[in-house]
Amino acid sequence: MAVLGSSLQRSKPQPYPSRARSALVRRLVLAVLVVVALGLLTISFRSPTSGILHDAQSYGSAALRPFQVAAVRVARPFRDAYTYVDSLARAKSQNAKLRKMVQDYRSQALLNASAVQQNNDFKRLLRFEAGPQYPKDFRAVNASVLSFPSGAFTQQIVIDAGATSGVHLNTPVVSADGLVGKVTQVGRSTSVVMLLSDPDSAVPARDLKTHVSGLIRHGQGGTLILDRVSKDQVVSKGDWIITRGTVDRRYPDEYPYGIPIGRVVAVGTSDIASFLTVQVQPLADVSSLDAVAALVPKHPRAKP
Amino acid sequence: MTFADGLKAAALLFVAAIAQVSIFSQLHVFGGVPQLVLVTLVAVSLLRGAVAGAVAGFFAGLVVDTATLGMLGLTSLVLTVSGYWIGRYGETTGRDRGHAPFLSVAAVTFLYAFGVLLVEFMLGERAPAGPVMRALFPTIVMNLVLTAPVYALVRFLLRPRERADYATEVQLLG
Repeated sequence: MAVLGSSLQRSKPQPYPSRARSALVRRLVLAVLVVVALGLLTISFRSPTSGILHDAQSYGSAALRPFQVAAVRVARPFRDAYTYVDSLARAKSQNAKLRKMVQDYRSQALLNASAVQQNNDFKRLLRFEAGPQYPKDFRAVNASVLSFPSGAFTQQIVIDAGATSGVHLNTPVVSADGLVGKVTQVGRSTSVVMLLSDPDSAVPARDLKTHVSGLIRHGQGGTLILDRVSKDQVVSKGDWIITRGTVDRRYPDEYPYGIPIGRVVAVGTSDIASFLTVQVQPLADVSSLDAVAALVPKHPRAKP
Repeated sequence: MTFADGLKAAALLFVAAIAQVSIFSQLHVFGGVPQLVLVTLVAVSLLRGAVAGAVAGFFAGLVVDTATLGMLGLTSLVLTVSGYWIGRYGETTGRDRGHAPFLSVAAVTFLYAFGVLLVEFMLGERAPAGPVMRALFPTIVMNLVLTAPVYALVRFLLRPRERADYATEVQLLG
């Protein structure tokens, strides 16, 4: 009883037992990070091409660029070795095919040269006015590819050239083979290029031989589709597809006339479809791009 | 987690993120792409717990989104949750089990793919479930191939903690 009566000093009550406190801290950290990520996502979603966050991201991307370039350089010998072995395996069968193609192209080149000469004469006679032409009216900003499309969500690449090199929004991007896509985001020293294989991509194009126009969109299995070609038009297998360029000066096209896109590999139709199904094999292999060129107009006033 | 451990984990994830966007994203095998950054995150989370996993995921996502000029916060959001979840698994049932890294990588690859799909869908962006499903199996296989060497490297750099250091809510009674 004496014990009960005495004033016993009780230990200070802990707000949380240590285990519960660690759980609280853990959940708090998760909540804070999730909220910050959601905040970044919201701002980035609302203003994807401008604003403080975009500028910060652009500077961050510029800071990461040397590391990306270094990574690409480290990987290049391995990639080259793989490509070398792979090409050796296919070289023999390709050789005969290429020899045949060279013969065909040689005779075609002679005809083309005389046609070009004739075309220039006619233009001079008619005092024909034309917009900027590919490639002579464009400066090629050569850039290496820093990152590649990583999955089903994005068909975009990041290139090593940005606003400081003269690249701007919607600048057409080509490889040695043909059209690759266009710039959709510009940073200080890097840019994002939307590839032709992106579902959002739509390029006005025409058949070089029959002059039939349509829209190049992505297709199945790495191919493209020349869409919006009505059934009464004629497109044949083997025809070359190029960019259409500006048709009306009031609505200048983003792509100049004449950039090669691909070759028609199949033409189909059905009773219920409104348009022809024209399948196009792209010339540029977007899955193994090393370097590309952004086409910047030589004369800034000139629109494609 | 000590400061030195934090630095090591940050360096590992930074290198993994840069390698992911510059090298690994190019390796398409049957539509799948190996995800080095995800495998590294799993290893760090298993060895260092939920808090470290969440922070590591946030950091790695930020580097990936910045390097690709992508939508900032998207990868961070999914990787933060992934890192936290794997960290909790490591702190509780997964510790000391040989199959834990492989099981975690397989599960988190699946959840990551659907997490990104869900966020894209909620944002009204393109969310093609078909290609994601087709690429999922090859991606899991490639990630599992990466798991053993990556986990061994991360384990070498970040020594496993003493058992008493683990924060756990699982209590043995009796």
